[in-house]
Amino acid sequence: MTTTTPEVRPSRKKKNLSNDRLGPFGRFYVTLMVGGVLIPFIPLIIGSFAFRWTWPDLLPSKWWWEARATARLPQGWDYIFSPVSRVVESTGNTILIALIVTAICTIISLPAARVIAREKFRGKSFIEFFLLTPLIIPEIAVGLGILVTFIQLGLAGTYAGIVLVHLIPTIPYMVRVLTSVFQGLSRDYEEQARVLGAGPLQTLLRVTVPMILPGIIAGGLFAFLISSNIFLLTFFIGRGQIETLPTLLFSRVSGGGALDAVAAGVALIVCIPGIILLVITERFIKEEVFAKGFGG
Amino acid sequence: MASASSQQPIRTPRRPLRELMRRFYVPLMLAPVVITIGVLFVGALFVALLQSFGHAPLYGIQEFPTLKYYRSLFQLPGFWSSVALTFYYAIVPTIVGTILSVYLALALRKTFRGKGFVQFIYKLPLMIPYLVGVAVTIVLFGNGGIVARSLFALGIIDSTGDFPRLIYSHAGWGIMFVYVWKQVPFTTLIVYSVLMGLGRDSEEAAATLGASKWQTFWQVTLPQIMPGIVSATIIVFAFNFGSFEIPFILGGGFPNTLPVEAWRAFEDADYARRLRAMAIVMFIGLMSGAVLFLYLWTYRRFERARGRQ
Repeated sequence: MTTTTPEVRPSRKKKNLSNDRLGPFGRFYVTLMVGGVLIPFIPLIIGSFAFRWTWPDLLPSKWWWEARATARLPQGWDYIFSPVSRVVESTGNTILIALIVTAICTIISLPAARVIAREKFRGKSFIEFFLLTPLIIPEIAVGLGILVTFIQLGLAGTYAGIVLVHLIPTIPYMVRVLTSVFQGLSRDYEEQARVLGAGPLQTLLRVTVPMILPGIIAGGLFAFLISSNIFLLTFFIGRGQIETLPTLLFSRVSGGGALDAVAAGVALIVCIPGIILLVITERFIKEEVFAKGFGG
Repeated sequence: MASASSQQPIRTPRRPLRELMRRFYVPLMLAPVVITIGVLFVGALFVALLQSFGHAPLYGIQEFPTLKYYRSLFQLPGFWSSVALTFYYAIVPTIVGTILSVYLALALRKTFRGKGFVQFIYKLPLMIPYLVGVAVTIVLFGNGGIVARSLFALGIIDSTGDFPRLIYSHAGWGIMFVYVWKQVPFTTLIVYSVLMGLGRDSEEAAATLGASKWQTFWQVTLPQIMPGIVSATIIVFAFNFGSFEIPFILGGGFPNTLPVEAWRAFEDADYARRLRAMAIVMFIGLMSGAVLFLYLWTYRRFERARGRQ
């Protein structure tokens, strides 16, 4: 490209260059969008450190650390980390449930993804559509039906019940991601291993699994994230007996009126898994994985 | 393929188990997910469907099949307002969010300073629960929120009462803000990855042939990213239509969206109301399904008219 002499196609080269740089309006727009993502967090962070923050002050008139010494009860972040607030317990529940869901979801999605990626069979497009339906049928329609059944079966308000319902929204994403992983993996390596005398199990463990491991990790991270962010199904099936971070945040923000320091703090804590995963996924996940899953 | 079929006649008599495995390989591999989704998801829908038609022996109600729970819905005061609100809160942010996302995805393809940071940070809302978006919206757009305080500091409003009700109101600005804030990264990510997969060859060809930027977008880029846009909007719309916590917290009370009304009916002390909740839920599924079906059908027709399959 750089070696083309400017005399040959001067106009086109110029056009291409100007085409690749973002114009002033585009830069303004991108700045606006990034601002729209980040700026809302500023009052949330300030709010979490506020002790008194009344209308019309733009900053709190009394901060949490100023009130700490005199207040009789734990305030702000002290309260959040005290057992009364259930934040620590909810974090533990969220992580535990998400880990189990991720493990089960990965194990049961792997064989299906392999078959969908590689085999031709009757009703394949129906199966693919069927596995995507949880994404397009509103969660509440499923939630109430499951709740009624689980109350009867004694699964409502149990970890097992929550893990089971979390499989519904995680499986569709997992199958899509893993299918595209298998599509990207040539059969040649496995066949070569078999030709060279490896057994099916050996081939699976020594060849297939190492090659698709990055894809499994990517899918697993997503399943973990989806599970840890689910509110509605946890709220329905948990029945207040099992609290996760999203349900805890719900009870903190659903009171109506303004947001107190504890609610702001909980909202920030709820973001932590997502932020960690955002940082990790930057290294692991190629964005094309999404395109393959969604009509690219 | 060829080697496998030549081995088959030798192996079949010796290893019947393997032959059986081969025949049932596909169903066996699919079984775990299909059964899980089938039992949990389809089963739940089936239970809700049965109950909505009056089959609930647990509450001592055995009127199957009756349409009275559906009929009672349509006579409910505020029901059609609920339907209208549900559609309104679902459609507007889907359209607005999609337009914002397509432009953002197109901008992200170009080079600019700080691109690495932007590509990283714009995905943040995608990663966190909707409820964080709700918390953010209350802090920003509440009547005593930061926006109102800033307007007061600037002398534009005199009291909290002068600030328009953006949350806890039927106009639903806050609700729709949460959807857009949370979903623009999702749609952008899908559209952007489709764009990356396409490359720029056809656009460059169009430009070389003298097409303007606008023409290139409408006639070359947009048709190519349409499949991505359609799948993203389907997922986004279906979510918004069935979303519960956001209108529950930020909505304007009765009448609220259908999912909120379904939950209220379900939580009612009168168990017979639970059957009405199931009827509402079935109605939600039906409406959402009908809209998505019409949408896909229109899209397919449009594609066929363009000569694509």
